[in-house]
Amino acid sequence: MKRRLITYMALPVVWCLVSGYVTIGSLFLGLIFGMLVVEPFSKLYRLDEVVHPTGDWIAKIPKKVKYFYVLIKEIIKANIVVAKIVLSPKIDIKPGIIAVPIRTKTNIGITGIANTITLTPGTLTVDISDDKSVLYVHSIDATNPQGIRDSIRDDLERYVLEAFE
Amino acid sequence: MAGELAFVADILSIVSLLIGIFFLSLGMIGLLRLPDVYNRLHATTKVGTLGAFGVLLSIIIQEGASPMGIKALTVALFILLTSPISGHMIARAAYRMGVKCCEGTCMDEYAGKRRK
Repeated sequence: MKRRLITYMALPVVWCLVSGYVTIGSLFLGLIFGMLVVEPFSKLYRLDEVVHPTGDWIAKIPKKVKYFYVLIKEIIKANIVVAKIVLSPKIDIKPGIIAVPIRTKTNIGITGIANTITLTPGTLTVDISDDKSVLYVHSIDATNPQGIRDSIRDDLERYVLEAFE
Repeated sequence: MAGELAFVADILSIVSLLIGIFFLSLGMIGLLRLPDVYNRLHATTKVGTLGAFGVLLSIIIQEGASPMGIKALTVALFILLTSPISGHMIARAAYRMGVKCCEGTCMDEYAGKRRK
């Protein structure tokens, strides 16, 4: 399947969502504008490249729903943690930057895990190492670095691996 | 019956709007109170996300599947995608510019591993 086909299927949907009108006419308009925008830059986006979408993309939708459920839960938890720190009378934190080894190798998996780390309690991704095997994570409470590494590996990375690999 | 339903929807929408505004103001207080750029990013990326979600959820409850509601849903999706990326970019740029961590920082395993 060529990347061009995937782009032309995705852009009308994005047009519908942004314009707010989900109708056949709106889809058609989105297709026309998508072609007008993308076609001059077809070399830039490597549209003629053949990509092989992994066959179990649809089979993994339940896993993706579970990942979003975990993500929303972690976002609410993170907000309560930050709210407690911000509203305490004296701010007493011990921040630090920790190296966290990750197992996933694909680009989309690394993006997913980095974004998830940023949205979860007390941690913020700063950078990735050259060989894409270690994330540098700023933590607002770095008194127990091994505990943070374990919680990222067991609680978050598992769901990302299941949903995107 | 329809009137009661609209009343319940109004209450839900106002509650979620208040939750959103509460968390957004917490994010701003955190931006002022926390010591250095990295800790301030904790406040703005996380709290900003839930605050914006609260406000957008309030719009979705009020408007339903109208164009405005669908736009609010789209904005929520894009915030979920872009807010952590912007936080990550600001933190990395600050570190590369040589912004020091605040006093009381107990460890820095990133030191010396910066890419040229």
